[in-house]
Amino acid sequence: MKIRTGDITTHVQRLDAQVSGEEQGEPPVVVFVHGLLTDSLASYYFTLGPSFAAAGIDVIMYDLRGHGRSERPETGYQIECFVDDLVALLDALGERRRVHLVGNSFGGTVAAGAAAWYPERIASLTLIEAEPPVPRWTEHMANGLALAKEQLVHEEVIDWIKDNRGAHTARLSRHAGRILNSTTLADEVWSGRVIDDDLSAITCPVLAIFGDESGLVAQVPLFESMLERSRVVVLPEQGHSVLVERTKETRELVLEWIREHDLTEAAT
Amino acid sequence: MTTDATGFATAKSPLGTDAGAVLADIAGMLRELLEEYGLDDAEITRETTFHEDLELESIDLVALSGTLREHYGNRVNFAEFVADLELDQIIELTVGQLVDHVVASLRATEAS
Repeated sequence: MKIRTGDITTHVQRLDAQVSGEEQGEPPVVVFVHGLLTDSLASYYFTLGPSFAAAGIDVIMYDLRGHGRSERPETGYQIECFVDDLVALLDALGERRRVHLVGNSFGGTVAAGAAAWYPERIASLTLIEAEPPVPRWTEHMANGLALAKEQLVHEEVIDWIKDNRGAHTARLSRHAGRILNSTTLADEVWSGRVIDDDLSAITCPVLAIFGDESGLVAQVPLFESMLERSRVVVLPEQGHSVLVERTKETRELVLEWIREHDLTEAAT
Repeated sequence: MTTDATGFATAKSPLGTDAGAVLADIAGMLRELLEEYGLDDAEITRETTFHEDLELESIDLVALSGTLREHYGNRVNFAEFVADLELDQIIELTVGQLVDHVVASLRATEAS
C-alpha cells in the first residue's frame, strides 16, 4: 500500500507475524531498510521478509524516497530526510512498539541515523555491510556518487557493464543513472547531518555483519571497541553483497539477534 | 450477483484452475502493470520472462504479488514461492513458471 509520510508518498509492504496460540503479548516488529539507487524493498520481500513473519515477527518493508514505488521528489535527499521518512512511516502506521531496524548498505546508514536521532523508537540496530553517517562516510559518498552520476548516462558505459556484468546489472545501472540525473540526490545525500566518528550517539544494541572482502570491513575494530553492546560478524570469502549471496546466514544471525533483544515485554 | 438463466455466473465461479485461465488472468495483471510504464502492446506467453522480455524489476514483482493476493486470496503466496528461488532463478523467471505455481496452489487448496 501507499501511505503519506511527511511531504511524500511511501510504498510500504507489511507481513504480519504468524503467531502460535500459546504465545502471549505483542510480537516484536522489524523494519527493513534497503540500499541506494539500484535497490528497493523487493530485496527483503523476496529474501528475509516471509521467514521473519513465519518466525513470529511483524515485518515492515518500504521503499526509500526516490526508489521503487515511493515518490521521487526532485530535491530533499539529505540523510536526515530519509531518517525522518522512516519515523514518519512508523507514526503513519500507528507503530508504538520500539522497532528492530535492519539496514543493508545505505539502508544501514539510514537506520544508524534513526538510532542516533530517535533512540526512543529503536529496540536494536542491525547493519549489513553498512557505514553510519559519520564524516568519513560523507567523503565516500560524495566521490562515488559524483562519478556514478557522470558515468551512468553514457551508453558506452552501460554497454560495458552489459558485456562484463550482464544485462540485468546494466539495466539497474541505467536506472541508477536516471535517478542521479533527475534528482539532487548525488549532491545532497552526503551533505546533511552527521554523527561523531566514535559512534557514541548510537546507544542501542548493534549487530554489524560484514564480508571480509569488502572495504567496509575496516570498521570492525571501531565497532568492537566503541560500542559496548555490539556484536560483529565477519563472513569469510564474501564481498559487499552479503544480503543476496549469504541470505540464509544473515537470516539466522538477525533472527537470533532479535529474539535476544526483544524488548516488547519489558517496554512500559 | 444473481445467477441468470444461462448459469453464466455460476459457471465462472469458482475461479478457473486450468492453466489457460490462469495465464489469461496473469497476462491481464501484467498488462495493467505495464501500462503504468506506457507499454500497452506487450505479447505475453508462457515463455515470456519478467526481467528480460518485459523489463520488469523485482519491485514490479512485489506489485504483482499484491495483485495476485487480491485476486486469489491467501491461497497463492508468491512471496514465499520467490523466497525459495536463487537470485539467478528470479531473474530468469517466466510467466509459465508463475502460472504453474498458481495452478498448483489453487489445486492444493481445492483438494484439502
